[in-house]
Amino acid sequence: MSLYEKLGGDAAINAAVDIFYRKVLTDDRVSEFFESTDMEAQHAKQKAFMTMAFGGPSNYTGKDMREAHKHMNLTDEHFNAVAEDLVATLNELEVAQELIDEVVTIVSGAKDDVLNK
Amino acid sequence: MTSIVFENRNITLKENESVLDGFLRAGHHDIPNGCRAGVCQSCIMKSDSAEEITHAQIGLTEAQKTLKHFLSCQCHPKSPIGVQSTSLSSQQTEGVVIDKTLLSSNVTRLRLTADIDYRPGQYLTLWKDKNIARCYSLASHPNKQNYLELHIKHLTDGAFSSWVKSGLNIGDKIKIQGPLGKCFYTAGKAQPLLLSAIGTGLAPILGILQDALEKGHHGAIHLLLGARSPDNFYLVDALKNLAAQNRQISLTFVYQNIPAQNNTNSEADFSFAVQGDIYQYCKKTYPDMKGYRVFLCGAESFTTKMRKQCFLAGASMGDISADAFIPFHTSTLPPSP
Repeated sequence: MSLYEKLGGDAAINAAVDIFYRKVLTDDRVSEFFESTDMEAQHAKQKAFMTMAFGGPSNYTGKDMREAHKHMNLTDEHFNAVAEDLVATLNELEVAQELIDEVVTIVSGAKDDVLNK
Repeated sequence: MTSIVFENRNITLKENESVLDGFLRAGHHDIPNGCRAGVCQSCIMKSDSAEEITHAQIGLTEAQKTLKHFLSCQCHPKSPIGVQSTSLSSQQTEGVVIDKTLLSSNVTRLRLTADIDYRPGQYLTLWKDKNIARCYSLASHPNKQNYLELHIKHLTDGAFSSWVKSGLNIGDKIKIQGPLGKCFYTAGKAQPLLLSAIGTGLAPILGILQDALEKGHHGAIHLLLGARSPDNFYLVDALKNLAAQNRQISLTFVYQNIPAQNNTNSEADFSFAVQGDIYQYCKKTYPDMKGYRVFLCGAESFTTKMRKQCFLAGASMGDISADAFIPFHTSTLPPSP
């Protein structure tokens, strides 16, 4: 069983994405990157991100990640803030620690692409 | 082996090929696409083949399903499927003006007869001539009224609204295109509803409200209307009557400023409304919006700010629909949805 299935698949992402998006929108360290006049589109992007973080069916490649974040001048602090918000979301949903660890591993793998290193 | 029918052309699909991949292989590189995993929703298309698209509608809203939208990257049809782009509205038709009434100092109610199949709250494009078109949302309900009702706000120097006010007459014909838009009633019947509008955002809100009542919605319905000044509110008595007849409806008018003395009738009674900031009022009155179904209509600045506020107050993003009125900058093209 994949991590994505263990976490509960599409239904779990739907539950998580609202909580996660609320967290980043109210997180002063990163909220400016998530403010958008088209919140529905932003919400869909968050879902794509979480699908990837859950190891689910996602065709996002490192190149896409790099391209999407290229002009944002992101730092380690930004990356860590989003990762923390994601972990807090999973804690809130009472996801087992070992599964959270797996999510963190996947997300950490994308760090260089996101920060354009 | 099966195929796609698109704009009178046939595209043969290979074994296990998705509709999107078929399009791309056939050279249709203008079909938007992103993740190709059913997540980003950029490749949405439309089809009447209900059976073939059901499995490709996971994650779409009820409104999108009603409109027969599907994710082309997730669609693997078993038999030939007719597909359309969602950006193309239906063909132009002609309406006839049957009523033109001033509802307030700057809002005209236009009623038209035309053969159009729509959901209350969707919008139409109206054409003054081949260069000037504007979008207006539908306040009427197809099962309750045999006309289309639109509320036209008069703008100083507005090429279209000035023409409606002084150039358009009862009996005149007018070109119409549509409907478009996915801000219409879909909800659990017991869900509390927040219907909020500023200005002529009231038009689609009225359509949505009529549809909720028609479909037997039995949860509470909170109607929250905003305006700059209390004399901008219109249809006040009609709304009060509606609220008196339906106990589930609570009705609140919130205005920003008291009108200047010389501008208004000194006899005017504004006690039906409260003065304040509609965002603060909403925050205070509805601190916990978990489980709410929310409809927001009016200027884009309003729908954007309210959407964020309602979402942060606990409403699920999928439960917030908005009809954002976007000002017109050019006079040559119909607006994109």
